[in-house]
Amino acid sequence: MLEIIELTKKFGEVKAVNGISFQVNEGEIFGLLGENGAGKTTTLRMLATMLQPTSGTAILGGYDLIREPEKVRSRIGILFGGESGLYDRLTAAENIAYFGRLNNMDEGKLKERIRELAKVFDMEEYIDRRAGKFSKGMKQKVAFARSIVHNPDIMLFDEPTSGLDVSAIRNVHEFILDCKAQGKTIVLSSHTMSEVEKLCDRIGIIHKGNLVAQGTIAELLEQHSCGSMEEVFVKLVGEKL
Amino acid sequence: MSLKHVWIVFKKEVKDISRDRRTLLTNLLIPIILMPLLFTFLGGSMKKMEKDITENITVALTRESDTEEIRNLLENEVFKNYPNIKLNGSVDNPAEAIQNDKFRFVIDVEKDFSSRLEQGIPYTITIHYDQSDTKSSGSFGILAEAIRSYSQKTVKNRLIEMNIDPQILEPVTIQQVNAAKDNASGNFMIMMMLPMMASILIAVGGIPAATDLVAGEKERGTFEPLLTTQAGRMSVLFGKYLTVTLFSFVSVIAQLIGVVIGGMINPTFFTMVEGGSGELSFSIPTGALLLSILTIITLGMVFSAVQLAISTYARSFKEAQTYLSFLIFAAMIPSYATMMMQPDDLQLYMFIVPLLNAIASLKMILGSVINYTYLGIGLGTSLIYVILSLMFAAWMFNKEKYLFRN
Ligand SMILES: Nc1ncnc2c1ncn2[C@@H]1O[C@H](COP(=O)(O)OP(=O)(O)O)[C@@H](O)[C@H]1O
Ligand SMILES: [Mg+2]
Repeated sequence: MLEIIELTKKFGEVKAVNGISFQVNEGEIFGLLGENGAGKTTTLRMLATMLQPTSGTAILGGYDLIREPEKVRSRIGILFGGESGLYDRLTAAENIAYFGRLNNMDEGKLKERIRELAKVFDMEEYIDRRAGKFSKGMKQKVAFARSIVHNPDIMLFDEPTSGLDVSAIRNVHEFILDCKAQGKTIVLSSHTMSEVEKLCDRIGIIHKGNLVAQGTIAELLEQHSCGSMEEVFVKLVGEKL
Repeated sequence: MSLKHVWIVFKKEVKDISRDRRTLLTNLLIPIILMPLLFTFLGGSMKKMEKDITENITVALTRESDTEEIRNLLENEVFKNYPNIKLNGSVDNPAEAIQNDKFRFVIDVEKDFSSRLEQGIPYTITIHYDQSDTKSSGSFGILAEAIRSYSQKTVKNRLIEMNIDPQILEPVTIQQVNAAKDNASGNFMIMMMLPMMASILIAVGGIPAATDLVAGEKERGTFEPLLTTQAGRMSVLFGKYLTVTLFSFVSVIAQLIGVVIGGMINPTFFTMVEGGSGELSFSIPTGALLLSILTIITLGMVFSAVQLAISTYARSFKEAQTYLSFLIFAAMIPSYATMMMQPDDLQLYMFIVPLLNAIASLKMILGSVINYTYLGIGLGTSLIYVILSLMFAAWMFNKEKYLFRN
């Protein structure tokens, strides 16, 4: 469970995120839809405890973002951006293990977990090879495995398909749906309407730091008497995506 | 901050960076190879130059003064005790002969010298040489000395003929006593080079690591996942800080190994300077050695913190590299400025200024003129700089504005 309460972030005079509130239920995918510069990354960075909110807070997995950021971090996994950044001179296993260790996993468990992830993502063949020479698809799998090595129950995805080709996008979508199938609570930001429509249970539209609408697709269509999400977005934001 | 997380970060970074060939090259191989090369080439060419200056001094006469009598004067009188000066032939154009490196000197002697000599009237010997040429100007002293001592001998003979004691010409004699400690002048070369190289290498050594560890991490996109692990931000910073510090020491240690190898190849290099005792000798008290090593270590720590702060500030890997290379210049300026400085010239303020204090401490112990108060002040101020620079790095690392700008 994830609850966001009046979350606000100012960068100097710029209000990047302006008092947004929403809830995400367990096992649900919440889509944060907005143009470039709307405040999606800033929101997710606050949820990931990387940025300190100017005001407001969020409760993730029962822990308060402001008061117990370390506890919050133990419950979340992140995948930010489309490019899968890895340590090129470390092997796939070493890349994953580093994040497991920093998340306080003990060595025995970690080893088992990596073996399990290698199997799930079909990486067994190259798990002990250095990441520098991997294809994009191989790197992507390692990045997926890294984000869930500590088995978090909340996943934060910030535009995870930006700049990717069709098959890589399909892999990301599959991964997100797998996470959902495992009962993880998910926030996904995107500026692609079709992606949000395809994956999300509920959608929030963010514009200039404000959450201008939220609900299921059916609810949003009805509230704004529109025939498509595209129309809803234009109506609220004044521009097409 | 958790020590466990610091250790995990440190271990990973060391493993990661030591797999990078480029870093190993700059941190290990170059310092190890550079010093012996420097010793061999610089030492070799210095030796050859010295040999050329003192030996093989070729002299010709001008055509006009090329007479039996003059040749006899020079060969059997003036150059008699100078076997390295070789009179050989005569030339029409002295300037041309010298320019073409045919002869180092061309000498002209007044033709009527013997009658002048008999009458006691001075006569002139003209020496043509090239002052812009190191060999020519270097050997000039030897040639002039030969003529001067011949001149003195002539005076002596005249005085003896007149029954006057030649000692009358020398009312005062000068006696030289070198007050420098035995090894102080002998270690001149190493005193000059080692502190300079050490401070520059310490500044350079951490750079590949520092660039990679924050700017590189940001550019690669691994920084955000890293900051979302349970390791606190300060643990991440500290693990990285220790890594950068380690690598800046690795290059200093590599340099020392290089010095030792260089010393084995060419043992006289360090002392190849006038007045050197010809042997490298150290008698550094353990306490002083320890103090100065600690000061050097703290210098490495200050550099590491500053480098990490810069790497955090940089927008990209490239930008970080550019900023960090400016830092090398910052290290070079005080190093060069004090390069020729002798241990006796060291002053209190030098032990207070960052960077300069490490250089000064090293110079002091290498020169064996030890002042524990100064060394202590050097270490004390260095420790303060370590704390200040770390606070600066931590402040930078907590600054959202710099950490997350893209
Ligand atoms: N570190 C930062 N410093 C200053 N301004 C920032 C910073 N990060 C984001 N912003 C500003 O905040 C606003 C929202 O940015 P962002 O959250 O990245 O939007 P999105 O992810 O939706 O494209 C933009 O106007 C952006 O310029
Ligand atoms: Mg964004």
